[in-house]
Amino acid sequence: MGGMMSYFRGLFGNREMRILILGLDGAGKTTILYRLQVGEIVTTIPTIGFNVEQVTYKNLKFQVWDLGGQTSIRPYWRCYYSNTDAIIYVVDSADKDRIGISKQELVSMLEEEELKNAVLVVLANKQDIPGCLSVADVHRALGLEALRTRTFQIFKASALKGEGLDEAMEWLSNTLQQKK
Amino acid sequence: MFTLLYGFWKHVFKKDDYFILILGLDNAGKTTFLEQTKTKFNPDYHMMNPTKITSTVGLNIGKIDIGGVRMNFWDLGGQEELQALWDKYYAECHGVVYVIDSSEPERLQESWRAFDKILDSETLNGIPLLIVCNKQDIEDCLSVADIKTVFHESVEKIGHRDCTVMSVSALDGTNVQKSISWLLQCIRRNALNRPATQD
Repeated sequence: MGGMMSYFRGLFGNREMRILILGLDGAGKTTILYRLQVGEIVTTIPTIGFNVEQVTYKNLKFQVWDLGGQTSIRPYWRCYYSNTDAIIYVVDSADKDRIGISKQELVSMLEEEELKNAVLVVLANKQDIPGCLSVADVHRALGLEALRTRTFQIFKASALKGEGLDEAMEWLSNTLQQKK
Repeated sequence: MFTLLYGFWKHVFKKDDYFILILGLDNAGKTTFLEQTKTKFNPDYHMMNPTKITSTVGLNIGKIDIGGVRMNFWDLGGQEELQALWDKYYAECHGVVYVIDSSEPERLQESWRAFDKILDSETLNGIPLLIVCNKQDIEDCLSVADIKTVFHESVEKIGHRDCTVMSVSALDGTNVQKSISWLLQCIRRNALNRPATQD
């Protein structure tokens, strides 16, 4: 019976999509998660561990995991990789010094077999800060031109102002529905 | 013995992989062309609603199985600052689709310049080139002849490679199948020059 239920649920496109929000500490992952969920800015503290919320966007349900980004806890990201449909990788576009580290983390993450079929969204966050990296700069700095077998899209975003998140979710829901 | 059998199995069942780049200015219809291609050649694929297709900043991929080979498509963003990234894919591609928005006469020169620049790359010598005059479903759009006149400037750079200009509507699917079939035929002919990728 349960199997049948899940079959029907699949038929109506209501399967919950599993999304991970990853990125270095201070990139804005938690702010983005709560922007998506409640549409507001919440005051955040550095995440040790994770936050998980259910987000509904245009009839699609997403289970969104926001994992802490500090160096010492990045190795634990991989515990959450299985069955992931999409990764939202958040970059602090104003943090030019650490974009290289951000690249390394992204590259080693994408090598994981469990994430082979996951769609990638890169959010070039903090676009409200003057002099930050443009979308093309972020593309180059992360070495995304090396990707050959994965669908990905970069969005400029400002979690603070709420910009770019709608576009990213819209793209994500269309792309994930297409992949089913 | 296992290696022998495995090699034989691979030989029989492994498909040749060809990679095709889809290039052109932003809003030319590259992603729609890819979606339409996937729809035409994969019977159980449902096309994404074209109104939902947004400006690509990144990469869309598509795979179709046709005539015993697999064609893999890379659809890249066309905005000016992203055009610098196109050449990163040249060495691995077997064919190029260049998409033009026929409904925008004001951008035809700009489109031609981007096209002409692609041809400067020696890596693409001999690589078949499909020029897609897209959005032919729109009334009063540029005709294929109009576009050919402008793109004819590049005739020397095109040289001996296979090149054709097609009248297409990615939206309603006109000539999409014909274009892909033409491209595959040329890619196969060029396989001595650039062989299929085997993994």
